[in-house]
Amino acid sequence: MEDLLYENQVIKELQANFLEDIIDAIVQRKKRVIFKVKNNKIESILLFLKEKMGFLHLSHISCVDWIEENRFELIYILWHPQEKINVFVKIDVDRLKPVAPNIDYIWEHANTYERELREMYGIEFKGLVGRQELILEDWDGMPPMRRDFDTLQYVMENYTFRSGREDAQDVRETIANRTGEEIPEFAKKYSR
Amino acid sequence: MRKEKTTTIYLGPQHPGITGNMMVKLEIQGDTIMHAETHIGYLHRGFEKLMERRNWLQSFTIVCRICVPEPDPNEENYARGVEEIEGREVPEKARWIRMLVLELSRIQAYLLWYGGQSGSAGLYTIGQWSVGDRNYVLDLLEDLTGGRVYHMYIWPGGVRRDLPKGFRKKVAKVMNYLEKRLDDYDRVMFDNAIFQKRTQGIGYIPPEKAIEWGVVGPPLRATGIKSDVRIDDPYEFYDQVEFEVPDMYKTSDVWARALVRRFEIRQSINIIRQILDKMPENGPVWNKIPNPHKWRIPRGEAYVKTESARGEFGYYVVSDGTEFPRRIHVRGPAYVHGITLLEKILVGQNIADVSVIMNSLGTCPPEMER
Repeated sequence: MEDLLYENQVIKELQANFLEDIIDAIVQRKKRVIFKVKNNKIESILLFLKEKMGFLHLSHISCVDWIEENRFELIYILWHPQEKINVFVKIDVDRLKPVAPNIDYIWEHANTYERELREMYGIEFKGLVGRQELILEDWDGMPPMRRDFDTLQYVMENYTFRSGREDAQDVRETIANRTGEEIPEFAKKYSR
Repeated sequence: MRKEKTTTIYLGPQHPGITGNMMVKLEIQGDTIMHAETHIGYLHRGFEKLMERRNWLQSFTIVCRICVPEPDPNEENYARGVEEIEGREVPEKARWIRMLVLELSRIQAYLLWYGGQSGSAGLYTIGQWSVGDRNYVLDLLEDLTGGRVYHMYIWPGGVRRDLPKGFRKKVAKVMNYLEKRLDDYDRVMFDNAIFQKRTQGIGYIPPEKAIEWGVVGPPLRATGIKSDVRIDDPYEFYDQVEFEVPDMYKTSDVWARALVRRFEIRQSINIIRQILDKMPENGPVWNKIPNPHKWRIPRGEAYVKTESARGEFGYYVVSDGTEFPRRIHVRGPAYVHGITLLEKILVGQNIADVSVIMNSLGTCPPEMER
């Protein structure tokens, strides 16, 4: 049996302080604890984890688009440098009106993650100031990391294929035409 | 306060300081930096989006391209993330080979760093030597995987093929050679007064703030904090090999970061020797996956991380139970080092030291933008 002492202690301590705001708490495996919390309490919980429990290092902020359930899931991954444990804190954000609190006053580098999520998923972080763009430039369409953004369609609408290369799409056929060779029967099914 | 006139200059997006394209907008007064702002967006290839439309095996060929100088932590992370969600066992020998590849990769990344760091301080000879020596490591990787830079070797379930004949001997030979060469590097780089002057007291990160600022890897260890994913959250068989994590360099400047890397490249050679001793002779190297077109990973998530040459490299992998990943999010160390941290510690520095500091932090634009 693996020793999950501190993992269970984190859950206990957080439940003692935020009982009503924690929707779900599980130990995924050794060194990984997952919390699902209420959207409006995320700031207090992250502050509590950092200041009171010593989860000083913010590893990651990620977002998953659960389009069929009409929600974005934001995941904050924290690391405890002494106890060597990762904690995931998750919140749900309404997909139609995606608003989440800004936490760059807790960890400054959260600012970069939030800027990226803002342009890639269109999530508005309340109170996030700073430069508008991180990766994309002058983008006014649908945020591209959303599941319903069709990459192929976007390419077809916005780019043209270089002319003069239409025949080069299938090398085998081009070479056969040029030299007058016949493509063997078995290879034909691979030709377009 | 008297308002002084500042000049704005743009460093990049093309410059010799780093691998990839990235621009730093600098406000300078004389040659002192008053304000710095990182601009990325020149290298975005949309890998994370691409992977959502590829199956689990096709995505494996994409991940190594996320970081050019050091692709193997990506492969290992991805493979381990998928295995963790699926609960797939990895054969013992495959896990040793993975460690071997990761350590070879760390050595070649550090050798490349030797070139970058000394080149940015004006010492070009070392770069020529170290890139030449790096080729011996790349030869080994080519022998093993078929590719020099991108290997596509560590995949879910194990590794793609067993060690070729006589490979262990070759590795041992290259390690012996490199160990001797490192003394030469010490003489021309670390004993060099120019290098010392250019790096000591430059790019200071306050140790008490380092963890909070998201610093990882060699820059964190250079503040005197003992932190290494290989020990803190062991993966593969890192709990069965012995190595030291440096915490004796505490000055937290470019010089200390250089010393940390100098120390670690020797540790890597040491680890590789232990791996060669402990790796079983025979045994399977791959736990075969089902037909990739019908290979469904059960719904779940995993955050896996590796200690890369630049620090904690994390993958957040989410599966929705289909043949395609729902989300794969990459956390590269440079994402924090190259943007918020760099902007902060550049202030007050001399403009000539920008690329020295950038190199010491391991700034790598390809992994910032993915």
